[in-house]
Amino acid sequence: MDASGTSRRSFLQASGGTLGMAWLAASWPQVVAAAEHAHQRVSDTADRSKLRLLTPAQARDVDAIASQIVPSGATPGAHEAGVVYFIDQVHAGLWQENAAEFVASLTEFQAKCARHHPGVAQFADLSFDDQTAYLKHLEHTPFFGGMRFLTVLGLLALPSYGGNADKLGWKLVGFVDQHAWQPPFGHYDAGYAGFVPYAKVAEQPS
Amino acid sequence: MSARKFKPDDTVDFVVVGSGAAGGVMARELSQAGFEVLVLEQGPRFTAADFRHDELAYWFNGELTNKLDTNPQTFRKTAADQAQRVTEFPAAWYAPNVGGSSVHFTANFWRFHEVDFDERSRLGAIPGTTFADWPITYAELEPYYTKVEWEVGVSGLAGASPFDPWRSKPYPMPPLPVKSSGVLLERGARKMGWHPYPAPMAIASVPYKDRAACAHCGFCIGFGCEMQAKSSTLYTMIPEAEATGRCEVRPLSYVSRIETNAAGRATGVAYFDQDRREHFQKARAVVVCANGAETARLLLLSANAKFPDGLANSSGYVGTNLMFNTYAQINALFEHELNEFKSAQVTRVVHDWYDCDPQRGFYGGGGIDSRIGPMPIAWSLFAPPPGRTWGAGFKSLLEALPRAMIVAGHGTSLALETNRIDLDPELKDAWGLPALRMTYKDHPDDLAMARYLQDRGVESMHAAGALEVWKEPVVESTGGPHLLGTARMGNDPRTSVVDKYHRSHDIRNLFVCDGSSFVTSGRGQPTMTIQALAFRAGDHIAQFARRGEI
Repeated sequence: MDASGTSRRSFLQASGGTLGMAWLAASWPQVVAAAEHAHQRVSDTADRSKLRLLTPAQARDVDAIASQIVPSGATPGAHEAGVVYFIDQVHAGLWQENAAEFVASLTEFQAKCARHHPGVAQFADLSFDDQTAYLKHLEHTPFFGGMRFLTVLGLLALPSYGGNADKLGWKLVGFVDQHAWQPPFGHYDAGYAGFVPYAKVAEQPS
Repeated sequence: MSARKFKPDDTVDFVVVGSGAAGGVMARELSQAGFEVLVLEQGPRFTAADFRHDELAYWFNGELTNKLDTNPQTFRKTAADQAQRVTEFPAAWYAPNVGGSSVHFTANFWRFHEVDFDERSRLGAIPGTTFADWPITYAELEPYYTKVEWEVGVSGLAGASPFDPWRSKPYPMPPLPVKSSGVLLERGARKMGWHPYPAPMAIASVPYKDRAACAHCGFCIGFGCEMQAKSSTLYTMIPEAEATGRCEVRPLSYVSRIETNAAGRATGVAYFDQDRREHFQKARAVVVCANGAETARLLLLSANAKFPDGLANSSGYVGTNLMFNTYAQINALFEHELNEFKSAQVTRVVHDWYDCDPQRGFYGGGGIDSRIGPMPIAWSLFAPPPGRTWGAGFKSLLEALPRAMIVAGHGTSLALETNRIDLDPELKDAWGLPALRMTYKDHPDDLAMARYLQDRGVESMHAAGALEVWKEPVVESTGGPHLLGTARMGNDPRTSVVDKYHRSHDIRNLFVCDGSSFVTSGRGQPTMTIQALAFRAGDHIAQFARRGEI
């Protein structure tokens, strides 16, 4: 079975420079179905009004660490994207088998921080620069590596997991979740003149 | 015609273990040739509607890939080391579902070149390795490469690469539209005097055989295609096999052993259903297409009194000669937006270093391609260089993602008897079967070639005008998705597992065809060759069956 007549016709249309129209005409039902389906999945169903696992004090420190990893500023950071809600919800649900270990290492982090900074109630109460300085000592620890992992996921995973509120993480990295795109995709392919063949072409040996 | 449903007592002509890149083709070829075929697949069957744009689920929760809690693996570098249980990504990484890893692959579909099949004769022996020629040539496989391109569906531009081998027919579909990363790699590579060309991809660039064309959503690598544009066997070979009315694909069926009788013939396979009840399926012949890791494990798990070292293993080569292909990455930032999250991963490839050049001082060959990958989370986690992994420097890198691209180097892995899949002596899987143990240490030439390709990638990006370029360290492999060489083809039963038709040397009605059949690793993208081998094997196995030679 070689290409059917339909496929050959589409091929000819496409190679005639009407790729967009041919594609759209032939694919529209699939595009609509897949886009609707994708939209349901991407809808932000997360509840960020309450914590499910972390205590408010734990959440303050998690939020502060996440904000050190992706700081707020001229553009939103981990705080505005609700990364703390991702970290809370993922340990209350999808990865609940990791929850006890996560809370234990967070508690250890908090205890060490308190010993290191007498008179300061918790990490989140340190100045931003003091937080940075303290974390510099810890940046190669498994706890910090784990927090970095969770912060990136909380920033960029689907909003339904609890973070990436208002798709702020995606806006930060310029990602747009859309089901279908058409060229040009970026600046450099917009003016592409077409592939210029090379002189030598491999031939079947006689 | 609708899919066949076999009864428990039926003896099928062929039971095919695995429904992936090779198993799907095998099922279609044998059922279209008139035989009754049962395909047993350990994982579930998804449809296009199940797939979504969820990077966490697929990349960080293993939703499509093998599960280490039920199917644990261990890894060690050498036989002198104690193998450790793998805890994050599986060492042998694959997609256990109908369609196998052809569901989540990136769909790079390079043909092997003539040199891949007879390089040992051209270069001579490499001491300490089992570097060998294939028992077949490119010319013998060429019609089946063409068959893959037309039956499975590959887009590309024939003759575009001056290094490509000869071909009997052009591609059935034009290449996918070039992305900015492809334009930049092409610009840089041409300035260097190299020959970039449009990437051959198993993705429909135009509507093809009742499948929609690519919608350029960008979710290919590690994801299932919602458009059915990716030419997975799930969308291509398997429905065509079922349409014959002679093929059943039975998901959630985990094969635990192949049985043989006193005459040394395979009688069928034992498998567990989803409720972990054990069944026995009688078959006139068994074809194992379970990937380069699980195929070897199954042959070893099937050891019995007559075959104490495992089936098809009189050579002792089952599980050995494991090869991965090396990978080397360069990150680059440009002035303007590329938006690499759109469309298929790869649009340009450079193969100027495909052949081995003794002047380099080491064995190896390969190519580089342009891409981003996988998607925002993985890039953000893994791409930043030391010193920019958190804080303001990290955030500025995140904001630069639209201006980022990757050049990836793909190269050879030499076959070594010490690199292997076998059974862990202690650890068991959730069914009580010995877990998969991997032993792997790259040959120094493989790493040297990977670094060589990485340096060419750096040059290409500077030539293209990149503002920043940085390399990811090339380190020794601890696993991968390209699982090759563990049941190699060959003419000599002392140094190979199957013959040139994929029939095991030891058991007449036992065939093996997948990445395990490879004798050499090729230069980086094995699935095209896995499928060409499967078409060729299916052709010959059907002829044997018709002639009563099984």
